[in-house]
Amino acid sequence: MVKGSSGVQSLRWRLLSTVCIAALLGLGLSGALTYRKAQQEAEELMDGHLAQTARLLLALVRDNESHLADLATRLATVRSDRASHYDPPLEFQIRRADGSLLLRSEHPPDTPLSASPGYTVIEHDGHRWRMLTLTLNEASGDYRVQVGQSIRLRDRAALEVATQSVVPIALMSPVLLLLIYYSVRRGLQPLDDLAAEVASRSPENLKPLASGNAPLEVQPLLAALNRLIFRLRGTLESERRFTADAAHELRTPLAVVKIQAQVAQLSGNADDRQHALAQIVAGADRATRVLEQLLRLARLDPLARLPNPGEIDLTALARQAVADTAPTREAGVIRLQVSDSPLLVRGDGELLQIALRNLLDNAVRYTPPDSTITVFARRHDGALSLGVIDDGRGVPPDELPRLVERFYRGCEPSAEGSGLGLAITQRIAELHEARFEVENLAGGGFEARLCWGRTWAA
Amino acid sequence: MRILLVEDDSLLGDGIRAGLKLADYAVDWVRDGEAARLALLDHAYQACVLDLGLPKRDGVAVLKDLRQRGNHLPVLILTARDSSADKIAGLDAGADDYLTKPFDLLELQARLRALIRRARGSATPTLEHAGVVLEPATKRVTRDGKPVTLSAREYALLHDLLSHQTHIRTRSQLEESLYAWGEETGSNTVEVYVHHLRRKLGADFIRTVRGLGYQLGDSA
Repeated sequence: MVKGSSGVQSLRWRLLSTVCIAALLGLGLSGALTYRKAQQEAEELMDGHLAQTARLLLALVRDNESHLADLATRLATVRSDRASHYDPPLEFQIRRADGSLLLRSEHPPDTPLSASPGYTVIEHDGHRWRMLTLTLNEASGDYRVQVGQSIRLRDRAALEVATQSVVPIALMSPVLLLLIYYSVRRGLQPLDDLAAEVASRSPENLKPLASGNAPLEVQPLLAALNRLIFRLRGTLESERRFTADAAHELRTPLAVVKIQAQVAQLSGNADDRQHALAQIVAGADRATRVLEQLLRLARLDPLARLPNPGEIDLTALARQAVADTAPTREAGVIRLQVSDSPLLVRGDGELLQIALRNLLDNAVRYTPPDSTITVFARRHDGALSLGVIDDGRGVPPDELPRLVERFYRGCEPSAEGSGLGLAITQRIAELHEARFEVENLAGGGFEARLCWGRTWAA
Repeated sequence: MRILLVEDDSLLGDGIRAGLKLADYAVDWVRDGEAARLALLDHAYQACVLDLGLPKRDGVAVLKDLRQRGNHLPVLILTARDSSADKIAGLDAGADDYLTKPFDLLELQARLRALIRRARGSATPTLEHAGVVLEPATKRVTRDGKPVTLSAREYALLHDLLSHQTHIRTRSQLEESLYAWGEETGSNTVEVYVHHLRRKLGADFIRTVRGLGYQLGDSA
């Protein structure tokens, strides 16, 4: 709770320590000030006492000058014997202006009475004393009185007073610290609750986090978390769909292989057996194709950019594609339509070849055997494009946007592709920062192309 | 026995048709939901093997449509999706059974036999009449305990008659049960097979109901 491992600072610890330090500093400062003030007040109070005593003594001496000897013995009791801090022993002497002693306590400081009235500090009897000298000028004569207190005892009294005033503050500080601790804990509770909720979640539970009673400061965090959860859910959902679709696509050819193999085992007819065996081969081919496409897509998906792009001539790609396909085409025509000068783009030749072959395969698969298919690479209005045109029936308009969906095969029951070809082409286009476009042509037929809006061509 | 196969995949459809033919079913194969709907409207089948992901009309929709018309035809669903949700959706839409691809041909055949048997309202796996016993699982036919050898068509005809013990079966019903589309039937082929069966199982085994068709004879 104090500090996370790996040196991560805990918010609670930071809050607690800073608030506590601030509180303790405040308390200490106010304690020190109070202490100083209390000490000063105590000093002033005792100085006041000194002055009062001095004036009282003067008044007494003046009125009783005739029997000062009696007064002296009585006044001896003024000097306290109980050495309490608040009643420190008092020494005094009263003299006339000419210096003749009128009255004194038992052990007064034997310093001469200075002419200047006021407070002084002197050394007496091994201690420091606070002395007050007062003069009284009357018709009957001048008197001087000197009253003194031991500073040590005065200090002790002042200390006592000051300490007493600081004690409540000192007593309060643990209570304050405890209160701070609980406030911080309570204040951070929503964060703990949130952490506990997130921690207790199973990976399947991707419901948004409830933001009901979370404080304002936590709301942005919650909102961000919920946005993340939302995106995660989307990703997981599409992953799940992809896995299900992939399983579907692999199960069907496997089912073909299995059932045709069993037909071959069970059939007594040699022709039927041969037919079933041929179908097994076709099924295995299809499973292989689906697997290849799936793996290709799996490899392309995580790429953020092309690994090592080079300069690729689109016309060469188109020529190559036609050369590769033509011999296997049983009927119909595959034509080539490329510009004379090379059309250069930055890209990956192998991937572009795959993309073009997918387009060409689709055209072959979805058009009647006698149709004409054109592979083209051209420059038009500064844009480069590479693609395939056929003169078949085209694609129903409502299916156009779904063509690049993974495993979408259109409504043609004869479609035998993996449903991944155009998805792969689309992905390759993305990696090449090209657009993948499909359209039904006005005069019938269908065109699919990769399109570079701006040319990288020299 | 005639079966409707609805499967859009040409390789798989071809395999299933061949596999069912090996079990002497007459198989009509259609490749999309719309064709399936029309076939089910026009013909009497003993069972239907239905793929779920179909072009034009989803398999579940075809099934719901069929059940809404009050048709109790046994339907076995073939699905490549193995999630429970898909199976539940199929069964709730009115399917009697399902198989997940890839599946075993022998299992498909056995499940179809069971479905057809249950649709007949019988729990016993054999069909019996007047000392003649037919075991659909082995396609063995015995008369008074002795094996009888039948051709595929003869067997199919006997199976049909035994499946409709008290009913009169018209010639066109029998033809429909015996032949899939595209299999040309001669003008008097049913009569020929009835004749063969009478020779092998006894003259009284099949009774001709004049002007209507055929029926099993009275139990001896």
